[in-house]
Amino acid sequence: MANANLLSPTPTGLAAQAAAAQNPHLRKIRDLIYQVAGILQPDHKLQFLEDRCGRRLQQLKITSLRAYYDCLTMSSVRDDEMKELLNEITIGETCFFRNSPQLDALRTVVLPAILKNKSHLAYRHLRLWSAGCSTGEEAYTLAILLLQEREGTLKNVNVEVVATDLNLRSLEAAQAGVYGDYALRNVNPLMRQKYFIPAGERLAVKPEVKSLVKFSRLNLMDDARMTFMKGMDVIFCCNVMIYFDGVVRKRIVQHYYNNLLPNSYLFVGHAESLYGINNDFHLVHFPGATAYFKAEKRIGGGA
Amino acid sequence: MSQATRERIERKLAEIGSLPTIPTLLVPLLQHLCEPAEDVSLDRVVKIISQDPSLAAQCLRMVNSPLFGVRYPIDTVRGAVMGLGVSRVRQIAMACSLLKAFSTKGAVPVRALWAHSLAVAMVAQKFAHEAGYPEPEQAYSAGLLHDLGILVALAACPAEFEGAAQAASREHRALYLCERELNGFDHGEIGAMLARRWRLPAPYQHVLQYHHDVEQAPEYRCLVAIVSLADVLCRLRSLGYGCEEIGFVDLAAEPAWALAAAELPKMRDFDLARFTLELDAFITEVEQSVTALFELV
Repeated sequence: MANANLLSPTPTGLAAQAAAAQNPHLRKIRDLIYQVAGILQPDHKLQFLEDRCGRRLQQLKITSLRAYYDCLTMSSVRDDEMKELLNEITIGETCFFRNSPQLDALRTVVLPAILKNKSHLAYRHLRLWSAGCSTGEEAYTLAILLLQEREGTLKNVNVEVVATDLNLRSLEAAQAGVYGDYALRNVNPLMRQKYFIPAGERLAVKPEVKSLVKFSRLNLMDDARMTFMKGMDVIFCCNVMIYFDGVVRKRIVQHYYNNLLPNSYLFVGHAESLYGINNDFHLVHFPGATAYFKAEKRIGGGA
Repeated sequence: MSQATRERIERKLAEIGSLPTIPTLLVPLLQHLCEPAEDVSLDRVVKIISQDPSLAAQCLRMVNSPLFGVRYPIDTVRGAVMGLGVSRVRQIAMACSLLKAFSTKGAVPVRALWAHSLAVAMVAQKFAHEAGYPEPEQAYSAGLLHDLGILVALAACPAEFEGAAQAASREHRALYLCERELNGFDHGEIGAMLARRWRLPAPYQHVLQYHHDVEQAPEYRCLVAIVSLADVLCRLRSLGYGCEEIGFVDLAAEPAWALAAAELPKMRDFDLARFTLELDAFITEVEQSVTALFELV
């Protein structure tokens, strides 16, 4: 953009973005993360990426991004180091109502569209899956959203949220359903009152919310068990697939495709992409959000 | 548009004294913008912009705004071109020259419309570049100009236009559909009338007229399709003009996508997910550009 020698020594705003965006090693690390994990830090997030790489540099006593890039590509510990970096990038990501454009899309477009397709059925059932639910914030967020729509879109619809994770300790915390201020930072006082009860300094999810969610342990790499997760209307799988390599990701996403009913949706993390992972889903756009859509029939056939 | 409506609007356009006259340098700049930045001599850009001293002064104020973070004040057009590059400076000049032509206020906030036009310009250029369209700079200009019809409508038939704009925002529907329903014509057709009066180069006339009807465009379909796709993407990524009308789009299933893909083989492997995420980087830049532009008027 601007000529480097005209930039001020302590750039701010766009100039700072441009400075970070001009660092070739940072861009290479960004592209590597995208290639390996399907998660993208756009130009305006490169300062954030630089900061997170900085933490790893300190830990490893490395002094330059160039050396760190080598560490991520050539050293014997490159796979482990990539996991460490991905951990730094996705740290603190979990909270209630994390991605509001995504939830708005679910509420205003996705649920009405799915139910319209089911309008001919006498018994209407809606099944949402929080895959890689960690400590349960996303699963309970979905349950609250379903409760909010109970008198509207979801009148006379039987709803359930299936929530799975590999980690038993996370699942225990999820089932307990007790959260502190950090996890609840996007929950307004009205909603706190309506869907939570005080539990000491913290808040516990009310039983009516809990009753909609079924937690269970599931390894997404367990093909046999993945085959049985049938009849899904919406799957949320946010910042989970980044920990698998391309081959495994392809397999998991194919399972998702098979487990979803026709006219259904897969949501992934805000910065995640399934480019090169699956060609059956259609990338669809909502205001401020995207999702992967499984159409009625596959376009162009295929296996 | 029926013959009768066309005549009515033409009459109005002729009657209205406030109808914008063409900015003197717009056509030279547009013609110039059709050439790749690498092939253009610094002297020619400097010469074109310097023909209009007030435009040159506006460009310099813009160049020195915090947007570009320049360390020393730039006080000549030549200095601006050397510092920011040919491509940036002629884009700034075009935005300044268009802004000078319009000073309308109305239901669609003019500032938001400018933000949207700048955003579509940037997105169309990026899309053109990544999809292998040979003239990304032309896509930028086309994006900047695509909604000029709205500014003309605000000047030529404000009551009719505002009715449609209010309906669009009330019912969360696309503006051009409300215009057609209520008024029998849309900003594309009005924009095309202005484009013909101004004798804009043919590709831009097509973009103004057909960006909501890509398949109807007799020529320059690839360019029209790129601007149309950029327009939809901008309206979906907080770069619209305030009306949130689109609920759900499968962009790759849009007729515009197929039309562009027919001419651009690179679109077969296009990573739309990544492209979409990268657009969010434009939000701040567009906001700051508009602020800088509006400080000039």
